[in-house]
Amino acid sequence: MKLNLRIWRQKSKDSEGQFETYEADGLTPDMSFLEMLDVVNDRLTKEGKEPVAFEHDCREGICGSCAMAINGEPHGPNQGATTCQVYLRSFQDGETLTVEPWRARAFPVIKDLVADRSGFDSIIQAGGFVSVNTGQAPDANAIPIGKEVAEQAFDAAHCIGCGACVAACRNGSAMLFVAAKVSHLGLLPQGQPERAERVRKMVAAMDAAGFGNCSNQYACEAVCPKEISADWIGRMNRDYAVSAAKKV
Amino acid sequence: MSTQITSMIQSSIGRKWIVAITGILMIGFIFVHMTGNLQMFAGTPDKINLYAHLLHSYPLVLWGFRLGLIAVTGLHIWGTLSLARENRRAKPVDYAVAGRKSRLKVTWTSVTMVISGTVILGFVVFHLLHFTAQVVDKSYASMETAVGGVAMHDVYRMVIKGFSNPWISGFYLIAMALLFSHLKHGAASVFQTFGLRDRQLVQVIQAGAWILALALFVGFSSIPVGVMLGWIRP
Repeated sequence: MKLNLRIWRQKSKDSEGQFETYEADGLTPDMSFLEMLDVVNDRLTKEGKEPVAFEHDCREGICGSCAMAINGEPHGPNQGATTCQVYLRSFQDGETLTVEPWRARAFPVIKDLVADRSGFDSIIQAGGFVSVNTGQAPDANAIPIGKEVAEQAFDAAHCIGCGACVAACRNGSAMLFVAAKVSHLGLLPQGQPERAERVRKMVAAMDAAGFGNCSNQYACEAVCPKEISADWIGRMNRDYAVSAAKKV
Repeated sequence: MSTQITSMIQSSIGRKWIVAITGILMIGFIFVHMTGNLQMFAGTPDKINLYAHLLHSYPLVLWGFRLGLIAVTGLHIWGTLSLARENRRAKPVDYAVAGRKSRLKVTWTSVTMVISGTVILGFVVFHLLHFTAQVVDKSYASMETAVGGVAMHDVYRMVIKGFSNPWISGFYLIAMALLFSHLKHGAASVFQTFGLRDRQLVQVIQAGAWILALALFVGFSSIPVGVMLGWIRP
């Protein structure tokens, strides 16, 4: 199997980038997209050229590192899958693919396909802590949590912070990410004492990091590899209003 | 403490709430405005003339209402434009290859909200100059009638004369089509901002917004169309 690749190459944060064309040959349909990039990089290294920089870690769809847009779609064409879980059988033999880093002001490109996602870290840091007693680990099930609530909190906690929501959004908005993080703690009893403060601080950090604002088009939800629902954004909007009302 | 409230109102979500609340208030106003206008079809000029006369009988209430509406509109514009400006800044570079529109949920109505809103604003200004300030056609001001011996402004005749001009009716219809487009996205978005959207209700909310937008479009458009086609006669 053969693919034609147009890959974004950029030396550093401040340098101008451009597309370079590569032909990837000797591929099999069962290779993952990242394995295909490994093949390309092996060849580049042997030729004494700079390999394409891209982030990867677990390669099993749970770490959120493999951030890149394939043909303008974050994580490529498949529903509910990270780039590492996209296999070459999703493409036609001989197809041309354009591979780009995340595009958003809050995610500046550092090198090739790698964008700086530390804007997300500043939001998580702003969220602060949950109140947990020190001392010995508490007994399991010491705090009763209903199945329904546990499931909902887990749905929100699925977010792996990959940034595909920001990358897909026309406005570079991080509201799906922030909503998932605000909600998974806000649903659980351990997250209640700081709930109002948490949503206020995380939204303030989100605004300060230069992300845009949700205009209710839900491209985020469509590309999210963990299929986080945009309904969480609604819940965050409500939580935020309650938080403001408590200040009055 | 109060500075915290101010900054919360000015935050991204705070402004989204302002846009949604002012949007609902404006929808409420135009709905009432439309039902009032539909009295053009009452079969007698007296009905809408009496209605307009009633609205103008309490100048304090009328002006309080007008100033309130101006404030609501101003807040809506401030909120949307400041959010839109940030949105453009937050996405300085587009992808070289655009993703599939169907997957990325790009709809024509949702990406043209600022354009549709701006044209509607321009229309509202013209509409006020036309029928409220009556400076577009000076003859409107002298149109008088009497119902039950009470002298009053002849709104019925003014509307017919106004919409007999195909340019004015055409602009009116274009503005109403854009209002439909604006509300199809806007009315559904209100539910998300208020946190009332739910996966199971998405279809219902979208259908509801579509029906509301269509009802307003048909209701408002029926009047210039009625005048042009002769359903509403002098």
